Amino acid sequence: MSESVLPDRRNVLITGADTPIGERLARVLISDSRVDQILAVCGGDADLYPLADNSRIKPIQVDLMRSRRVRELLFGPARDEQIHVVVHLAMHRSPRARGSRAHAFNVEALRGIIALAERHPTIERLVLRSDAAVYRSRRDLPVLIGEEHPLNIGVDVPQWVRDRVEADITACVRMGLSRLQIAVLRMAEVLAPGTGSQMFDWLESPVCFRPAGFDPMINLLSLEDATSSLQKAIFSNDDGVFNIPGADTLPLTACIRAWGRLGIPVAEPAMGPLYRLRSRISGHDFRYGINRGRFHFSGVLDGTRARDVLRFVPAYPVDWPVA
Amino acid sequence: MPFPPSLARALASLYVSDAEFERLGDLHYQDAGHGYDAFGLHPDFVALGELVAGPLYDRWFRVISRGHGSIPEIGPAVIAGNHSGNIPIDAAMIWMDVLRNTSPPRVPRAIADHFVPSLPWVGTLFARSGMIGGSRGNTRALLESGELLLIFPEGTPGIIKPWNERFQLRPFRVGHAELAIRYSAPIIPVGVIGAEEQLPLLHVSKRLGKPLGVPEVPIPAVPVPLPVRYRIFYGEPIPVHEEFSPEDADDPDVVRIVAGRVQAAVDRLLKQGLAERKGVFL
Repeated sequence: MSESVLPDRRNVLITGADTPIGERLARVLISDSRVDQILAVCGGDADLYPLADNSRIKPIQVDLMRSRRVRELLFGPARDEQIHVVVHLAMHRSPRARGSRAHAFNVEALRGIIALAERHPTIERLVLRSDAAVYRSRRDLPVLIGEEHPLNIGVDVPQWVRDRVEADITACVRMGLSRLQIAVLRMAEVLAPGTGSQMFDWLESPVCFRPAGFDPMINLLSLEDATSSLQKAIFSNDDGVFNIPGADTLPLTACIRAWGRLGIPVAEPAMGPLYRLRSRISGHDFRYGINRGRFHFSGVLDGTRARDVLRFVPAYPVDWPVA
Repeated sequence: MPFPPSLARALASLYVSDAEFERLGDLHYQDAGHGYDAFGLHPDFVALGELVAGPLYDRWFRVISRGHGSIPEIGPAVIAGNHSGNIPIDAAMIWMDVLRNTSPPRVPRAIADHFVPSLPWVGTLFARSGMIGGSRGNTRALLESGELLLIFPEGTPGIIKPWNERFQLRPFRVGHAELAIRYSAPIIPVGVIGAEEQLPLLHVSKRLGKPLGVPEVPIPAVPVPLPVRYRIFYGEPIPVHEEFSPEDADDPDVVRIVAGRVQAAVDRLLKQGLAERKGVFL
């Protein structure tokens, strides 16, 4: 049972602090008077962390795939800094990362953090950045996606999605079973570079192919709203799963136009091979197999629970290049 | 649709008057940003829907209707009617009739079978003009936001009926009654006369349906719908929201009784309309 009482002023540990969302969150928290210390866990060199010169931020490089390093992090610097909240953002962004090593990073690292945090002397709360990609998209499912919407589980689901679902469930199953408060934020796709956005990668080409005859509604989140939702979750005392929708709900074709791209409808069977070819030639990360469902059927996150509990309402639309 | 709302509006202006465009400006819908609601409806595509359905409504089927006063100006409501005609022209005519005869205009959100949203082009055009796939989550969200639903409780068995069984209602399913009770919405029965005779059925092919992604394909005896006269009659609202509490929606007996009342009301409207009409084409 969640019995923890968190102080109003909180020390925060951010994994994936050197990702665009992590870095932005750290910047936001620096200017938040309710935060004392921030432990910024990076995958890369901590000395190169852009906010390293700020006295309230302590960057630290940790290989989260190694359980020993995670233990040393939590029962070393995190205990010394009296961390209250862990914000877990670390997740492979590229679908190229596959196999057991990717799984260890995406899922096992989180499993380890939860297990250690449950017996940690100061950590009381975990905020996990999950993803709308965990939801299944199918013709017989609702357009408006609530937190109880079916998850995208199956043997044919790509590892990129499967790992996200498993990480999400790993956090969910511990809710209410320990003193650790757990909040899982299932975020709409953040349309920004470096965030692992499949849509951003797809829109990078001057020509965007899409399945002919379909124009589903999609919902997109800005970097500002993503960090705002994390900030609100850090200072909340509520457990639960929360959908985090963005301020932009629009059809796929309108998205292509607003990004200043040319959309070309092609027959469905050609989509997969076309984007496999693009990936091989130019190294892009967009995979049609990951996006097939939402390129056919509308899916818009219902953010009612986040609004009512976290007081999060999307306020910053995506900065579209073409008005 | 692959084209922007501005083009839809330009196309619609071929048929839709400036006054009607102005009226559509008062359309009740929840803009989720970029002018669309979360389900894909856009007022300019509603106008485009008028371009498609309007000539059929005005000239081909020459629709006569009455009882629009039963449709509430605002708030959630469920229109439940008979389904027939092998292709859902009856839904398009009710859609057009409600849009034209409500002020401020309301778009009835037609609930379609699951296969409809997966039909290329058709699914998208329908979604832009208000149709939604018939899942519990979709209907809940719409009723909670005060929308008007259009449901055919006979389902697909209703639309594909042999000629000799026309005007014989298939047993009503109970989903519409459950929804109305749970979300405190009145049910407005509607009887549609004319659709039954528009496309006499020759054969129903399940084999053809498979590659097209639909359960069955009706093969009509005529290549185009006959110019039958459509009559759309709305009955008195059934105030389930006053008679039952939302919890009663879990009681199978209650929803069955309400569905039976709706079926009886639709049946009465059909019999009344059939008695009044002087001929299929008149």
